[in-house]
Amino acid sequence: MSGHIFWNGTALPYRAGETVASALTRAGVRCFGAAPQGQARALFCGIGQCQSCLVHDGTRLTEACLLPCRDGLVLTEAAGPRDV
Amino acid sequence: MAQPPAYDVVIAGAGIIGASIAWHLAQAGLRVAVVDATGPAAAASGASDGAVSVASKKPGIMARLASGSLLYTRDLAAGGVLAGAYAARPSYVFGSGAAELAAMDALIAKLGGLQGPVRVTADGSAAVLPGAGAAVERIVALQGEGHMPGHKAVRAYLAHPGIAGIWPAKILQIEADDAGVNLRLAQGSLRARRLVVALGVSTPELFAGVPVLPRAGQLIVTDAGAPGALPGALTAAAYLLAKTEAPQRQTLPPVVIDPLTTGQFLIGSSREDHADPSRVDFATLRRLLARATAAYPALAERRVIRAFAGIRAAVPDGLPVVGPLPGSPRVFVSTGFEGDGICLSALIGREVALMLRGEAPSDGCEADFAALSPARFADLRQEHVA
Amino acid sequence: MCDPRILVVGAGLAGLAAAVELGRAGHRVLVVDQAQRPGGAVHRQPLPGARALASPAQARRWRALMAAVAAQGARIEIVCNTRFGGVDHGGAVLLTGDGAALLRPRALVLAVGARESVQPRPGWTLPGVLTAGALQTQIKTSAAPPAGTVLLAGSGPLLLALGAELVRLGRPPVAIIEAAKPFAHPLRSLALPPGYIAEAASHMARLLRARVPLLTGAHLTRITAAGSGLQAEVETRRGTRRLVADQIALHDGIRPNDTGLTASAALPVLRLGDCREALGAAAALADGRAGGAALAARLAGAPPPPPDTDLAREVAAQARLARIYAHDGAQRLAQLPDDTVLCRCENRTLADLRALGPAPTARQLRLDGRFGMGACQGRFCAEWVARIARPDAPQPLGMPRWPARPIAIADLLGAPDLISGEME
Repeated sequence: MSGHIFWNGTALPYRAGETVASALTRAGVRCFGAAPQGQARALFCGIGQCQSCLVHDGTRLTEACLLPCRDGLVLTEAAGPRDV
Repeated sequence: MAQPPAYDVVIAGAGIIGASIAWHLAQAGLRVAVVDATGPAAAASGASDGAVSVASKKPGIMARLASGSLLYTRDLAAGGVLAGAYAARPSYVFGSGAAELAAMDALIAKLGGLQGPVRVTADGSAAVLPGAGAAVERIVALQGEGHMPGHKAVRAYLAHPGIAGIWPAKILQIEADDAGVNLRLAQGSLRARRLVVALGVSTPELFAGVPVLPRAGQLIVTDAGAPGALPGALTAAAYLLAKTEAPQRQTLPPVVIDPLTTGQFLIGSSREDHADPSRVDFATLRRLLARATAAYPALAERRVIRAFAGIRAAVPDGLPVVGPLPGSPRVFVSTGFEGDGICLSALIGREVALMLRGEAPSDGCEADFAALSPARFADLRQEHVA
Repeated sequence: MCDPRILVVGAGLAGLAAAVELGRAGHRVLVVDQAQRPGGAVHRQPLPGARALASPAQARRWRALMAAVAAQGARIEIVCNTRFGGVDHGGAVLLTGDGAALLRPRALVLAVGARESVQPRPGWTLPGVLTAGALQTQIKTSAAPPAGTVLLAGSGPLLLALGAELVRLGRPPVAIIEAAKPFAHPLRSLALPPGYIAEAASHMARLLRARVPLLTGAHLTRITAAGSGLQAEVETRRGTRRLVADQIALHDGIRPNDTGLTASAALPVLRLGDCREALGAAAALADGRAGGAALAARLAGAPPPPPDTDLAREVAAQARLARIYAHDGAQRLAQLPDDTVLCRCENRTLADLRALGPAPTARQLRLDGRFGMGACQGRFCAEWVARIARPDAPQPLGMPRWPARPIAIADLLGAPDLISGEME
């Protein structure tokens, strides 16, 4: 039931039923990367609305605060800032 | 009651067509006012994909005018009024199956016949475009076309100091006499020597006899991703066929994938006979996105953040309406561009300004403009002008 | 022909109460929720194995509701980890996640809770700054205090409730910064229903015992990074203070939630509970019951049941609370530093807004300013951008949002089509 997720290559433990945002927060990870205009990605609203906590789950960007942890889940920061 | 007109020309409609006409008249020194119920680029011009494309035009008049307009747009962009709005970029047409492949052959022949600014730079399999889906049978790459967001171009045109912008101002009534045209607005009235009707889908509200019909197209906006992957618009040949086929006879989804400068994608579209911008449905979006991701698989990573319907101004015989309103010499109509307004705006602005000043259209345009005249509608009655 | 089930979005108080009424009327109900467990916001459940923070009364309310749900047996199905993508013009609904499907339900009930309002402040986009709602979600789910220290700032009764919860968990907030002066006129509070007063008194007692500084008539004006934590500048009536904390939770009120929740002519769509009108937990339960019963009557062609009188009392109570908590904080928007981010998604600042000229139209704000054009489609910035652009007559930023939330293209394509089998 519990296990490890991978954040930018580092294994992090999680509690059963926890979201990725929750596991990252407990591991002391507050910054989830950068958004296209350079602003930090991080937890803000906690209910999947503000789109600030987006992480990449291998197939698309998704809200970390809604994504349930499962053993072996590989997550990376979204593509970072670029010139607009 | 012939008071002196405050303006030489008043243009009803601050979309791309009205804005371009206004700019060209102001450049020639005329006193110009533009009136709009909402504001600049409030309707179709603000919902456009911004493609400045000859490839997507029907062969014949539309392709010829588009070809000339593309050249002229590039002139205006070279340090001129459209410098911040227009950017050149490659464009791609893809297809599978007999009908689409035939349409692509016809496209190449059309471009060849025009001998205009658009050249075919490659014609082959999906390998022509890095990132294209393997299932795509054929891709044609084009050079010479470009991109111009409608609202940017409108703003650029309307920045001319000789143009008086009057909005928001709904036109309640129009009356003409020997010396001019009176517009009664909610907040007062306005008098000009001539009136140009560039109202797009709103034309029938004031001129019920001009046969402009709303034709909606569903559009999808995605989030921004890695930059620069798709260098230009990728259009299904079915989109070219859609210009000539009845909307219901479409077999393959007529999808257009347009990379925006923000890194987002604009994906469309459909052709539906209604005027409701909020009318979108999941089934149509799935059909469009299924084809779009098959054609360009990187799209599967993106998320849809907004979907809506852009409303084009269509005309039953498929040609815009440009010319003096029969029986109303002071009223000039320029409407019904059904999704082709962005590309044609530069040339239309130039030619309509010439015609309003009593001059002949530019070389080679005369016959084509004759075919666009409102006089072609036998039952067009005089409207609102006494 | 459509799916015979009624779709309820939101497995909180209002949604489940509505589902029970609909089940009692003989309907089959599919309840979906984006969280991992039912409960909504008020009854957010802890992780498996953790003890809930709820009071005995709250726990009883939740158990009773879940028992009522269970009594309906197979008529009510709850699927979690499922997101509502929107309802389209023809009445089709897209769900993504565990319950992914494209379906056309008999009717649609939206019980997704209220929208939290958070005013922009310099530094509010720094990591470690979050909403009070997010912090409350965090502590309820983990049933544990946050790792570091917390500062609460903004305005509204939620700040006191959250502060008291943190005290119970052994992590009293560094301070509570409240823009209004809710204690300045104690007589106004006496007009509130007794339950409100008792609850507020309980929170205040906890906060006072733990000596939590409660600064009223105070405004958080700037947040900066300070080491691994955050520093807050607070303007009080007696001057500026600086406070440090690991996290800063902001909250400026609760609003009805209509972003992305469009109606459809093709099927009945109801909004119930806090998303319709933010009236609190008791009202959400009552609203859910009343709404479910009204929908059942409507579908049966029967006359609607009489309106719920309890709701009127809650509406009046909320209006009183609003007066107690009234303050002029929104007027500070125009005085924010130019580089304050207004639109978080597109990173657009007050300077960018001012560059559009006087009284910019909604179109200018969106197309030229890019305000509200990002992934959240204005949910967090629209009300402030509108107020700054036209303080006397704020205009909505754009057309109603559609779809209801960003939908991954892969999910849009992958949802099983439950409709097409029934068409032609």
